[in-house]
Amino acid sequence: MIRKSEIHIFIPAFNEASTIGHVIRSLQQLDYQNIKVIDDGSTDQTDHKAMAAGATVIRHFINRGAGAATQTAIEYARTSNCSYLLLMDADGQHLAKDLKKLVEQMEKGNSDIVIGSRFLHPAVAMPGSRKWLNYLGNQLTNLMCQQKYTDSQSGFRMLNRRAIGSLNLTLDEFGFCSEMLFLAEKANLKIAEVPIEAVYTPYSLQKGQNFFTGVQTAFSFLRRILLR
Amino acid sequence: MELRIFQIIVPLIALFFIANVIYSFRKSQITITETIFGGLFWLATLIFALFPDFFSTQIAKIFGIESNVNAIIFFCIGLLFFNQFKMYLIIRKQEKNLTFLTRELALKNHAEENEV
Repeated sequence: MIRKSEIHIFIPAFNEASTIGHVIRSLQQLDYQNIKVIDDGSTDQTDHKAMAAGATVIRHFINRGAGAATQTAIEYARTSNCSYLLLMDADGQHLAKDLKKLVEQMEKGNSDIVIGSRFLHPAVAMPGSRKWLNYLGNQLTNLMCQQKYTDSQSGFRMLNRRAIGSLNLTLDEFGFCSEMLFLAEKANLKIAEVPIEAVYTPYSLQKGQNFFTGVQTAFSFLRRILLR
Repeated sequence: MELRIFQIIVPLIALFFIANVIYSFRKSQITITETIFGGLFWLATLIFALFPDFFSTQIAKIFGIESNVNAIIFFCIGLLFFNQFKMYLIIRKQEKNLTFLTRELALKNHAEENEV
């Protein structure tokens, strides 16, 4: 049985002042208390809003990308001997109530990494343009990985101590999502997916990847695999 | 052999850069590999400038290019690509170092804030 106090929630954030407080409060309402925001060099007071909402903030002094912020979270969890690390987006796309599904899967499935898949949920609310980007991301990741993933680009993930101890991400940008799966398979970690809901707002669609960053992500992942 | 003006200027520039490469190596500013590559590059430039017709004709023959002027252009484009790739590798390395420093500093500052 995984206790809530054992779960350390990390939220990588870059200029998310308008949503970060809401995301933190939604977690606190469900009694999750170990909430840390990795502020990736924000210039809009994201760190102040996060602290005001009651989260601990680890601050990158300049923006280095979502992958770099995630690796900071992993390193922190490793040195602090955290039992479970949970990654969640700061734009309000993920729902705090879905966290339970990841925890349950981690408990029953003997998994090292659990991914919240937006495509396994019966009501996929993702807009068409995003679906295409994610489809391409999945195809590329599945080509390089042994397991087939329905949502390789999801930022909602839970890692246990074994995963925390063995992952060292090298990609600074969004390519880290695929890289994590690739490295996890190399380290013989067990990976599972569970359905989650995702909420898309004009704000959350502005953030994240667009076509051009998607192409860059694909190239950086391929370069990582081929030039490793 | 009648020397054209560039056959004097280019070797002098090449000699200056060869001296600069050696100086940088002695000051431990560059590695042995960079010294060898840099030295060879400027030595080749020097020799090429002294005998331009001979080398451009040879390159044209080797690569099956009809005109020796085209051969020089292709050769220069190749050099530019090589240089571009080298720059790309340097920038990647610097980016990696910058990320490492940023992460280390973030974790160190956080630990210090918690101590206080």
